[in-house]
Amino acid sequence: MSSFFRKLRWLLQRSGKEAELRQELQFHLDEEAAERRQDGLTGDAARRAASRELGNRTLVEENTRAVWGWVFLEQLIQDLRYAARTMRRNAGFSVLALLSLALGIGANTVIYSFMDSLFLRTLPVGQPESLVVLNWHSQGRVGGGANHVMHGMDGSTWKDDNGTSSGIFPFGAFELFREKTTLFSSVFAYYPTEKRTLLVKGQAEIAAGEYVSGDYFHGLELTPAAGRLMVADDDRAGGPLVTVISSRLSERLFQGASNAVGQTILIDNLLFTVVGVTPPEFFGVDPDASPDFYVPLHSNLVLDGTESFAKTPKSYLDGNYYWIQIMGRLRTGVSRAQAQAALAPQFHQWVAATATNERELASLPALTAKAAAGGLDTLRRRYSRPLYVLWGMVGLILAIACANIANLLLSRSTARQREMAVRLSIGAGRVRLIRQLLTESILLALAGGAVGALLAVWGVRFLSALLANGQDNFAVRPDVNWHVLGITCAVSVLCGSLFGLAPAIQSTRPDITPSLRGGRVAERSPRVGVSVWRVTLSQVLVISQIVFSLLMLVAAGLFVRTLSNLQSVQVGFNRENLLMFEVNARQAGHRDPEILTFYEELRKRFAAIPGVRNATLSHASLLAAGRRLGLSVSGTPLTDTWILNTGPDFFSTMQIPLLMGRQIDEADQLGSLGIVVVNERFAATQFGGQNPLGRRIRLGGPHPRDMQIVGVAANAQYGGLKQDIRPVIYIPYNQGDYPRVQKMVYALRTAGDPLAQASTVREIVRQADSRIPVMNVTTQAMEIDRSMNQEIIFARLCTGFAILALVIATVGLYGTMAYRVARRTGEIGIRMALGAQRGAVVRMILRQALVLAAIGLAIGLPAALGASKLVESFLFGIKSNDPSVLLLAVAVLLCAALIAGYLPAWRASRINPLTAIRDE
Amino acid sequence: MPRDTPSRVDLLQGTLDLLILRTLLPGRSHGHAIAKHIQRTSEDLLQVETGSLYPALHRLEAKGWIAATWELSDKGKRARFYRLTARGRKQLAAEQSKWEVFSRAMGLILNPVDQEGQ
Repeated sequence: MSSFFRKLRWLLQRSGKEAELRQELQFHLDEEAAERRQDGLTGDAARRAASRELGNRTLVEENTRAVWGWVFLEQLIQDLRYAARTMRRNAGFSVLALLSLALGIGANTVIYSFMDSLFLRTLPVGQPESLVVLNWHSQGRVGGGANHVMHGMDGSTWKDDNGTSSGIFPFGAFELFREKTTLFSSVFAYYPTEKRTLLVKGQAEIAAGEYVSGDYFHGLELTPAAGRLMVADDDRAGGPLVTVISSRLSERLFQGASNAVGQTILIDNLLFTVVGVTPPEFFGVDPDASPDFYVPLHSNLVLDGTESFAKTPKSYLDGNYYWIQIMGRLRTGVSRAQAQAALAPQFHQWVAATATNERELASLPALTAKAAAGGLDTLRRRYSRPLYVLWGMVGLILAIACANIANLLLSRSTARQREMAVRLSIGAGRVRLIRQLLTESILLALAGGAVGALLAVWGVRFLSALLANGQDNFAVRPDVNWHVLGITCAVSVLCGSLFGLAPAIQSTRPDITPSLRGGRVAERSPRVGVSVWRVTLSQVLVISQIVFSLLMLVAAGLFVRTLSNLQSVQVGFNRENLLMFEVNARQAGHRDPEILTFYEELRKRFAAIPGVRNATLSHASLLAAGRRLGLSVSGTPLTDTWILNTGPDFFSTMQIPLLMGRQIDEADQLGSLGIVVVNERFAATQFGGQNPLGRRIRLGGPHPRDMQIVGVAANAQYGGLKQDIRPVIYIPYNQGDYPRVQKMVYALRTAGDPLAQASTVREIVRQADSRIPVMNVTTQAMEIDRSMNQEIIFARLCTGFAILALVIATVGLYGTMAYRVARRTGEIGIRMALGAQRGAVVRMILRQALVLAAIGLAIGLPAALGASKLVESFLFGIKSNDPSVLLLAVAVLLCAALIAGYLPAWRASRINPLTAIRDE
Repeated sequence: MPRDTPSRVDLLQGTLDLLILRTLLPGRSHGHAIAKHIQRTSEDLLQVETGSLYPALHRLEAKGWIAATWELSDKGKRARFYRLTARGRKQLAAEQSKWEVFSRAMGLILNPVDQEGQ
């Protein structure tokens, strides 16, 4: 520290110190000269002898100043000033380099800020690092009739290495963990409520909430923004209906947290009292969910009372029903590994007791305790792979940009060879020169990084909008914070050193005489090692650019083909001019059987809107549906048969052709003959060539019923675009109490722009029941686009990146060829004077360009084949080694190489032999 | 008897500091006088390069072992005079004993005493 202040003090007294040093050395010279005079030398000779003895006075001064300690700073300022001047002088080069760097660094910053928000942020709760989330892992397949202790579930599982994992548990397991007070200071449970209809002062609102156990907020160590948070006593069967709401919801409904406490909210027509508000930064434990209200776990007994998968007191006792998610806070001194080691055997014992047969015993779930400081992994699982792919792309772009700038610097260093030679010959140190050149390139890189960071601010918004694609609750919230900027700065410095070092070392090679002499250095002259070495380095750089471009081109080709394959999927219905929206009358209090007529009345009113041709409804849109229930034909259970619960006019509205029989119409209702329409695939797989009309399908449930097949419809895509055509049966929604009718998705075939009818639709629903909000208004075309969102992003971004890479590589190749032609002017002139034809000269130069491209392709093709395997899971309808894509990429690159080589070749063929030789 | 040694030896790394400190032990002196003193006392075997003398003086000053003031020289000229500080004195003592141990060790190895002769 004291040395720092000393340096600072000296920095302030700098000019005084320098004068003193000069005086001191002058005194030394005078003394020495006086001494020499005493020895008998004359005045002049004595002074000269004294000077000789002192040596290089500037160097002595410099070395002494170095001791003062701010020489580094002084030289840095000098270098920076010089670098700025050089950049200004080569404005064209600087702008080009800066732009390509800014794009490269900016793109990397964008992706990194997404990574940052996904992987590095912690929950805004007290001591997040001591939180663990409990999961389980089972070998092999789980669910769908597989032998597993999980007989029923409400939640999600995900596939991972050789098995299935999940975070849902039976309530009994929660009670087991809750007793482990030596490991945990608190164990709490939660699960999402899904979307609910909230009614406050006559205003209907849709919001998602979370069921939480009494210890949830205590375990997270949260302090309320107003009121109180949930306590253990709130969470019991028959307890008070209380809720804690988010700050966001309190603003929206009550204009502030403090106003909200004590107010009441109707949630799905049940009266809840607001007891408190969570802090504004809190978003729950799952970054993907952001619940707006929290209700006691046991309130699901009343709140879920009418849902199809309602929780009952039995749900709490059933050891084979998996539904609650569990987190714990470790006691101080207990590590995650210790907790897992202690809990795993006890859970194993507990879960083994719930197995009902040998095969369930064989694949028991094993407990894992994972760090929960960053919240649940929902978002990370969804976005990490696409982000890694994007990261790879932007990394390549940055690599190409760096290689390009290194190449530009190399060719520029030829122009500066004389300057460097002069400076070396008058005694500049090589390290000092390299440092100065590096300062130049790092300054360039930092400027690029600064512009890149600005671009990134915009890019983050752009990519967020792309990824969210209209989702109102897109949960990844990246921003360009100091952390991200620090990384950007580091990347810039690294890039600057990378692309600056080789040219700097090369141009300060101490072999200076040829440059000083000013003669043209002969190409590939064996005496001049420098020249050969530089050309090789520049070739390596060009080849690497070609390799990277090929990778980008192949990726772009694969993603564009994937998108076009998806877009050309025959959905089997007319996707144009179809308005879709959701209505949930049950949450507003409508009950069976009145709800059936309510939905049907609504449909009739929609169909009567001028400009609407047909209107229909179904339990979900065709592409979002995924319902399988117990079905059988003549006593044989049907596996792999999918269900759409729908209503009148479905096939005419969707314009799905009927191959046989009739569609569902208004006469099919509760009490009339049970009917069903099947698709072609179902008819073919189930009845082969026989006529399916009149056959019966039995639907299970509490009161099994038989349905007669009255029609066969053409195949239509069900459950997503990427699915193969599935066997589907269309069951009227209103012919029984199973499955229970919840929300309904209406589809309106319109004459003109579908969205133009949205306000009319809202008005009709408001008139029918003002408590019901209209949700998710969209069109079929938009829904399809949204389902291809990731593919659209990849195709667009990758095409853009590939074009960028190709342009940069072409410019790089052109630069190298032009530079070589310029250096070979004399040689080419001699060739032409000796009778070489212009065509031969053009071919000679072109051949060299193509050889570079060919080497690049030879390296790039295997690399592309290897790299494209990494994105295989993102492809649709195309293999990662698709030959047409590879061929196209190679052809495009060769064309680019030809273009890049032709201009210099043409220029070489126009060399006037006389002028060229005279210059030599 | 004239010794068969070169007329000048290069200073060992780090010894210049010790020499300067030792030279300043009797009293203050300026750069040129320090150089001359070292040269004369070593019977012209040690030649102090000006190129390393002044950086060394400034380094020692920066370390706080010597202090500098502008005073008039014997000939009435303004000169930068250096003198030992208390810390410099301590440093000198430490360096000197270190050096003596070192040179004794070197002497023992270079001129081994015959074991049998004792």
